[in-house]
Amino acid sequence: MVAHGTIAFDTLTTSDQVKSGTEKSLDTSYIFNGVLKAWLNLDGSGTIGISDSFNTASVTDNGTGSYAKTLSNAMSNSLYATGGGHSANSSFDANSRVLPSTTTSIVMYTQAGGAMADADVVTALVSGDLA
Amino acid sequence: MSTLLLNTLTGKTSAGSIVVTGEGGSTTTNMQQGLAKMWVNYTGISTTAARDSFNVSSLTDLATGQTTININNDMGNDDYSGYFYTNAGSGTTFGAFDNTYTGGFGSFATGTCTNNAHGTSSGTNVDAYQNLCGIFGDLA
Repeated sequence: MVAHGTIAFDTLTTSDQVKSGTEKSLDTSYIFNGVLKAWLNLDGSGTIGISDSFNTASVTDNGTGSYAKTLSNAMSNSLYATGGGHSANSSFDANSRVLPSTTTSIVMYTQAGGAMADADVVTALVSGDLA
Repeated sequence: MSTLLLNTLTGKTSAGSIVVTGEGGSTTTNMQQGLAKMWVNYTGISTTAARDSFNVSSLTDLATGQTTININNDMGNDDYSGYFYTNAGSGTTFGAFDNTYTGGFGSFATGTCTNNAHGTSSGTNVDAYQNLCGIFGDLA
Protein backbone atom coordinates (compact mmCIF):
# COMPACT_ATOMS: atom_id res chain seq x y z
CA MET A 1 0.00 0.00 0.00
CA VAL A 2 1.56 3.28 -1.09
CA ALA A 3 0.16 6.61 0.03
CA HIS A 4 1.86 9.90 0.68
CA GLY A 5 5.35 8.41 0.85
CA THR A 6 4.40 5.64 3.29
CA ILE A 7 4.82 1.95 2.59
CA ALA A 8 3.35 -0.54 5.06
CA PHE A 9 4.96 -3.94 5.11
CA ASP A 10 6.13 -6.58 7.57
CA THR A 11 9.11 -8.23 5.91
CA LEU A 12 12.11 -6.73 4.17
CA THR A 13 14.12 -8.96 1.85
CA THR A 14 17.55 -8.01 0.54
CA SER A 15 20.35 -9.58 -1.46
CA ASP A 16 22.68 -8.37 1.34
CA GLN A 17 25.08 -7.25 -1.34
CA VAL A 18 27.19 -5.22 1.10
CA LYS A 19 28.10 -8.07 3.45
CA SER A 20 27.33 -11.65 2.49
CA GLY A 21 25.77 -11.56 -0.98
CA THR A 22 23.22 -14.06 0.29
CA GLU A 23 19.53 -13.15 0.20
CA LYS A 24 18.14 -12.53 3.66
CA SER A 25 14.82 -11.41 5.09
CA LEU A 26 14.12 -9.34 8.14
CA ASP A 27 10.85 -8.80 9.95
CA THR A 28 10.36 -5.06 10.14
CA SER A 29 9.76 -5.42 13.88
CA TYR A 30 13.55 -5.61 14.14
CA ILE A 31 13.84 -2.25 12.41
CA PHE A 32 11.03 -0.79 14.47
CA ASN A 33 12.48 -1.97 17.77
CA GLY A 34 16.13 -2.28 16.93
CA VAL A 35 17.20 1.13 15.70
CA LEU A 36 18.90 3.34 18.25
CA LYS A 37 16.64 6.09 19.55
CA ALA A 38 19.51 8.41 20.51
CA TRP A 39 23.28 8.70 20.34
CA LEU A 40 25.84 11.24 21.48
CA ASN A 41 29.48 12.17 21.04
CA LEU A 42 30.32 14.62 23.84
CA ASP A 43 33.43 16.71 24.41
CA GLY A 44 33.60 16.02 28.13
CA SER A 45 36.57 18.11 29.27
CA GLY A 46 36.64 21.78 30.18
CA THR A 47 33.50 23.45 28.89
CA ILE A 48 31.55 20.49 27.63
CA GLY A 49 30.00 20.50 24.18
CA ILE A 50 28.07 18.26 21.82
CA SER A 51 30.32 17.19 18.95
CA ASP A 52 27.51 15.34 17.19
CA SER A 53 24.30 13.65 18.28
CA PHE A 54 20.85 12.34 17.45
CA ASN A 55 17.71 13.01 19.52
CA THR A 56 19.56 15.28 21.95
CA ALA A 57 18.00 18.44 23.40
CA SER A 58 20.86 19.42 25.70
CA VAL A 59 23.69 18.17 27.90
CA THR A 60 24.55 19.22 31.42
CA ASP A 61 27.86 19.20 33.27
CA ASN A 62 27.02 17.89 36.74
CA GLY A 63 30.57 18.06 38.07
CA THR A 64 33.83 16.27 37.46
CA GLY A 65 33.15 13.10 35.49
CA SER A 66 29.37 13.49 35.74
CA TYR A 67 27.12 14.44 32.86
CA ALA A 68 23.44 14.28 31.88
CA LYS A 69 21.74 14.35 28.51
CA THR A 70 18.16 15.38 27.86
CA LEU A 71 16.33 13.67 25.00
CA SER A 72 14.34 15.68 22.46
CA ASN A 73 11.79 12.89 22.05
CA ALA A 74 10.98 10.98 25.23
CA MET A 75 11.15 7.25 25.81
CA SER A 76 7.95 5.47 26.85
CA ASN A 77 9.38 4.46 30.22
CA SER A 78 12.68 4.58 32.10
CA LEU A 79 13.46 0.89 31.59
CA TYR A 80 15.33 1.30 28.31
CA ALA A 81 18.88 0.15 27.62
CA THR A 82 21.95 2.35 27.38
CA GLY A 83 25.58 1.90 26.41
CA GLY A 84 28.57 3.94 25.45
CA GLY A 85 32.23 4.52 26.13
CA HIS A 86 34.97 7.02 26.72
CA SER A 87 38.33 8.10 25.37
CA ALA A 88 41.36 6.75 27.15
CA ASN A 89 42.78 10.14 28.19
CA SER A 90 46.43 10.01 29.26
CA SER A 91 45.59 7.48 31.94
CA PHE A 92 44.71 3.92 31.10
CA ASP A 93 42.92 3.15 34.35
CA ALA A 94 39.69 4.73 33.21
CA ASN A 95 36.10 3.57 33.27
CA SER A 96 32.66 4.86 32.31
CA ARG A 97 28.99 4.19 32.86
CA VAL A 98 25.94 5.31 30.88
CA LEU A 99 22.62 4.78 32.66
CA PRO A 100 18.93 5.55 32.08
CA SER A 101 17.58 8.15 34.47
CA THR A 102 14.10 9.27 33.42
CA THR A 103 12.04 9.00 30.25
CA THR A 104 13.75 12.15 28.98
CA SER A 105 17.28 11.93 30.38
CA ILE A 106 20.30 9.70 30.79
CA VAL A 107 23.33 10.12 33.02
CA MET A 108 26.98 9.44 32.20
CA TYR A 109 29.88 8.96 34.61
CA THR A 110 33.60 8.72 33.84
CA GLN A 111 36.48 7.98 36.19
CA ALA A 112 40.22 7.50 36.09
CA GLY A 113 42.53 6.21 38.79
CA GLY A 114 39.62 5.36 41.04
CA ALA A 115 38.24 8.89 41.11
CA MET A 116 35.73 10.79 39.04
CA ALA A 117 37.49 12.44 36.10
CA ASP A 118 36.45 14.21 32.93
CA ALA A 119 37.03 12.32 29.67
CA ASP A 120 37.96 14.02 26.42
CA VAL A 121 35.24 12.10 24.60
CA VAL A 122 32.15 10.49 26.12
CA THR A 123 29.81 8.44 23.94
CA ALA A 124 26.27 7.36 24.79
CA LEU A 125 23.67 5.16 23.07
CA VAL A 126 19.97 4.65 23.83
CA SER A 127 17.84 1.67 22.75
CA GLY A 128 14.24 1.00 23.68
CA ASP A 129 10.71 2.23 23.09
CA LEU A 130 9.87 5.79 22.15
CA ALA A 131 6.83 7.34 23.78
CA MET B 1 1.95 -10.37 6.07
CA SER B 2 3.46 -8.49 3.13
CA THR B 3 7.04 -8.74 1.94
CA LEU B 4 9.01 -6.03 0.20
CA LEU B 5 11.91 -7.33 -1.89
CA LEU B 6 14.61 -4.78 -2.54
CA ASN B 7 18.28 -3.94 -2.08
CA THR B 8 18.15 -0.23 -1.34
CA LEU B 9 15.96 1.96 0.82
CA THR B 10 16.04 5.67 0.01
CA GLY B 11 14.01 8.43 1.61
CA LYS B 12 11.49 10.20 -0.62
CA THR B 13 11.70 13.74 0.75
CA SER B 14 15.30 13.42 1.91
CA ALA B 15 17.33 10.55 0.51
CA GLY B 16 19.19 9.96 3.76
CA SER B 17 16.17 10.06 6.04
CA ILE B 18 13.45 7.44 6.35
CA VAL B 19 10.94 8.08 9.11
CA VAL B 20 9.96 5.24 11.42
CA THR B 21 7.00 5.70 13.74
CA GLY B 22 7.91 5.00 17.35
CA GLU B 23 6.47 2.26 19.53
CA GLY B 24 3.95 4.66 21.05
CA GLY B 25 2.42 5.24 17.64
CA SER B 26 2.99 8.98 17.48
CA THR B 27 6.62 10.01 17.86
CA THR B 28 8.80 9.37 14.85
CA THR B 29 12.49 8.63 14.55
CA ASN B 30 15.04 8.61 11.75
CA MET B 31 15.87 5.05 10.72
CA GLN B 32 19.29 5.85 9.24
CA GLN B 33 20.39 7.64 12.40
CA GLY B 34 19.54 4.61 14.48
CA LEU B 35 21.43 2.03 12.44
CA ALA B 36 24.86 0.73 13.40
CA LYS B 37 27.28 1.79 10.67
CA MET B 38 30.00 -0.63 11.75
CA TRP B 39 30.31 -3.46 14.24
CA VAL B 40 32.97 -6.03 14.93
CA ASN B 41 33.74 -8.88 17.31
CA TYR B 42 37.49 -9.53 17.35
CA THR B 43 40.29 -11.22 19.21
CA GLY B 44 43.53 -9.45 20.03
CA ILE B 45 45.39 -12.57 21.08
CA SER B 46 48.23 -13.72 18.81
CA THR B 47 46.97 -12.62 15.39
CA THR B 48 44.39 -9.85 15.74
CA ALA B 49 41.39 -11.04 13.76
CA ALA B 50 37.67 -10.39 13.37
CA ARG B 51 35.32 -13.23 14.27
CA ASP B 52 32.47 -11.43 12.54
CA SER B 53 31.93 -7.89 11.40
CA PHE B 54 30.00 -5.42 9.30
CA ASN B 55 31.54 -2.59 7.23
CA VAL B 56 35.08 -3.48 8.35
CA SER B 57 37.83 -3.79 5.73
CA SER B 58 40.62 -4.92 8.09
CA LEU B 59 42.05 -4.71 11.58
CA THR B 60 45.51 -3.31 12.35
CA ASP B 61 47.46 -4.50 15.40
CA LEU B 62 49.08 -1.21 16.48
CA ALA B 63 50.69 -2.41 19.70
CA THR B 64 49.84 -4.51 22.72
CA GLY B 65 46.13 -4.02 23.37
CA GLN B 66 45.78 -1.36 20.71
CA THR B 67 43.79 -2.08 17.58
CA THR B 68 42.74 0.08 14.67
CA ILE B 69 39.50 -0.86 12.96
CA ASN B 70 39.62 0.12 9.31
CA ILE B 71 36.14 1.11 8.18
CA ASN B 72 35.16 0.04 4.68
CA ASN B 73 32.64 2.78 3.85
CA ASP B 74 33.81 5.88 5.68
CA MET B 75 31.88 7.96 8.18
CA GLY B 76 30.95 11.53 7.28
CA ASN B 77 32.91 13.02 10.18
CA ASP B 78 34.95 11.95 13.21
CA ASP B 79 32.31 12.93 15.78
CA TYR B 80 30.34 9.70 15.70
CA SER B 81 29.20 7.78 18.76
CA GLY B 82 29.70 4.16 19.70
CA TYR B 83 30.67 1.52 22.21
CA PHE B 84 33.78 -0.49 22.94
CA TYR B 85 33.78 -3.38 25.36
CA THR B 86 36.68 -5.65 26.16
CA ASN B 87 37.26 -8.40 28.69
CA ALA B 88 40.66 -6.72 29.21
CA GLY B 89 42.33 -10.07 29.67
CA SER B 90 43.96 -12.86 27.72
CA GLY B 91 41.84 -15.60 29.26
CA THR B 92 39.55 -17.39 26.84
CA THR B 93 36.80 -18.50 29.20
CA PHE B 94 33.65 -16.59 29.94
CA GLY B 95 34.93 -16.02 33.48
CA ALA B 96 38.11 -14.35 32.28
CA PHE B 97 36.99 -10.79 32.66
CA ASP B 98 39.59 -8.47 34.16
CA ASN B 99 37.37 -5.45 34.22
CA THR B 100 39.23 -3.31 36.71
CA TYR B 101 40.27 -0.93 34.00
CA THR B 102 38.18 -2.05 31.00
CA GLY B 103 39.02 -0.22 27.80
CA GLY B 104 38.49 2.95 25.91
CA PHE B 105 38.47 4.61 22.55
CA GLY B 106 41.87 5.78 21.39
CA SER B 107 40.89 7.92 18.45
CA PHE B 108 38.09 8.61 16.02
CA ALA B 109 38.60 9.26 12.31
CA THR B 110 36.30 8.98 9.33
CA GLY B 111 37.99 5.82 8.08
CA THR B 112 39.32 4.33 11.30
CA CYS B 113 38.48 3.82 14.94
CA THR B 114 41.20 2.89 17.42
CA ASN B 115 40.56 1.01 20.66
CA ASN B 116 42.68 0.38 23.74
CA ALA B 117 42.17 -2.75 25.86
CA HIS B 118 43.46 -1.77 29.28
CA GLY B 119 45.49 -4.16 31.38
CA THR B 120 44.99 -5.11 34.99
CA SER B 121 47.41 -2.47 36.24
CA SER B 122 47.42 1.22 35.55
CA GLY B 123 49.21 2.38 32.44
CA THR B 124 49.36 -0.95 30.64
CA ASN B 125 47.44 -2.48 27.77
CA VAL B 126 46.74 -6.13 27.16
CA ASP B 127 45.95 -8.21 24.08
CA ALA B 128 42.41 -9.21 24.98
CA TYR B 129 40.34 -12.19 23.91
CA GLN B 130 36.96 -10.52 23.65
CA ASN B 131 36.58 -7.11 22.01
CA LEU B 132 33.24 -5.73 20.85
CA CYS B 133 32.90 -2.41 19.06
CA GLY B 134 30.13 -0.61 17.18
CA ILE B 135 29.70 2.91 15.89
CA PHE B 136 26.68 5.10 15.12
CA GLY B 137 26.55 8.37 13.23
CA ASP B 138 26.59 9.71 9.70
CA LEU B 139 27.99 7.78 6.78
CA ALA B 140 29.89 9.83 4.21
